[in-house]
Amino acid sequence: MLLCACLAQQARATTAAKLEAAFLPDQLGSRTTLEFGFSFSAPPGQVPPPLTQIELRYPNNLGIALSRLGIAECTAKILETSGPRGCPADSVMGYGVVYTGIVLGSSTVTELAPITIFRAMNSEHLALLFYAEGTHPVVTDIVFPGLLLSAAEPFGGKVSIGVPLVSTLPGAPYVSVIHLHATIGPREVTYYEKVGGITLAYKPAGILLPPTCPPKGFPFSAVFTFSDGSRTRAQTDASCPAQTRSALPAKQQHGRRHRHAKRADNAA
Amino acid sequence: MQMLGMALVGCSCALPAITGVAAAHNLEAADKASLHYISASGSTLYETGHAAGTLPGSMRVHMRVSATFSGSFTIYAQGGTITGHGTATPHGSGVRESFEGTLVVTGGSGRYKHARGHGGMYGSFNRNTYALTINTTGTLHY
Repeated sequence: MLLCACLAQQARATTAAKLEAAFLPDQLGSRTTLEFGFSFSAPPGQVPPPLTQIELRYPNNLGIALSRLGIAECTAKILETSGPRGCPADSVMGYGVVYTGIVLGSSTVTELAPITIFRAMNSEHLALLFYAEGTHPVVTDIVFPGLLLSAAEPFGGKVSIGVPLVSTLPGAPYVSVIHLHATIGPREVTYYEKVGGITLAYKPAGILLPPTCPPKGFPFSAVFTFSDGSRTRAQTDASCPAQTRSALPAKQQHGRRHRHAKRADNAA
Repeated sequence: MQMLGMALVGCSCALPAITGVAAAHNLEAADKASLHYISASGSTLYETGHAAGTLPGSMRVHMRVSATFSGSFTIYAQGGTITGHGTATPHGSGVRESFEGTLVVTGGSGRYKHARGHGGMYGSFNRNTYALTINTTGTLHY
C-alpha cells in the first residue's frame, strides 16, 4: 500500500526535460571542457519517474576522442570496493552533481550527490563510468556505465548511459533524478606524471573545438527513458564562441607540459 | 581510411592486345605505414608518414576520430598517386588504442589513374602523440 501511495506521487504524464550545454572556455579551435546538464519538471508534490537511460548526442566534429582525458582507466569493481580514491587520477574525465528526490507520504525528500566521471576499460568502445556518492539522507554509492557510440548527422556521436534503479526504504519508490549537471574536460581535473623521478601535476588536453561553428550553434540532443517506459527528448544549441587561434600541435602541447608542469597545456 | 602501400604478394598482368593500351594490373597486397601528427581540427587529424611495401611512398591522411574512425588517404608512390577512404572501429582503452576496419581505393593519378581496390586494415592509435600505425591487406587493380 505504501508503495502504491508513493508511486502515485511520481509524475505519470510525459515528463518535460530541459537540456543545457556549453563550452568552457568557448574559443573555436581551442581545447575546452564540455559542460552539460539536464533537468526534469514534475507537478508540485511529485517527482519525475526514475530515470533508466540517457542518450546524449553531441555535435559533429567535436574532438572528444582526441582529448587526452582518460589515459588511465578505472573499473566498476574498484569503485564499488574502494571508491574514487581507488582509481588512478589520470582516469578522471570530469565531475558533476546530481539532484535526486523521492516522495515519502506527503513530503519530498531530496539529495544532492557529487558525481565523478572516469574512463573505463572496454574492449569495444570508449567507455565511461559515473560514480555518484550519496551521503544524506540516503547513503548510497552508485556506479553506472556510459559508452561512446556513433550517431547520425548532424551529431558526431552519442554517450549512452544506463542509470540503475536505486532503492531506499522498503516499499519506497526508486530514487528519481531531478537535475544533473556535469563537466567532461580538464576543468578541475589534474593528472600526474613522473619526469626524471619527480611527480608533476598537469592539466590534460581537453576536448578540441573545431575552427568553425554551425550557424545555429553546436547542436546537442538527449533522449531520456524512464522506469515506467516513457521517454522524453530535449535539445539545445551551445552558442557559437568567438573565433581564436588554432589548437597547438601535439608536440608543442607535450613539450609545454614538461616545461611547465603546473600549468595547463592548452587546456581549459 | 588511411593507407594502402602495397607489398606485392601476387600479380596478374594482362598483356595489352593492342600496342598503346595500358596493361591491367591486379595486386594482392599487404603493407605497413607509420604516420605522425601534423594538425588537428575538431575531431579530424591530419597526418603524414611513409608507407613501406611494393608501392612505397609518402602518405597523407585525414582521419576523423570519434566513436568510429573514418577518413581519406593519398599515397604518393613512384609513378603516381593512389587515393581512397576507409572506416575502422577502435578497440581497447588507455593511451594506445587498436582498430580494425576496411578501406577502398577510389582512384589516383599517373599510372594509378584508374586504380580501384579494397582491403582490410588494422593498426594502433596513440592518444598521447596521435601517432598511427596501420597494416593493410587487399587487392589493387590499376
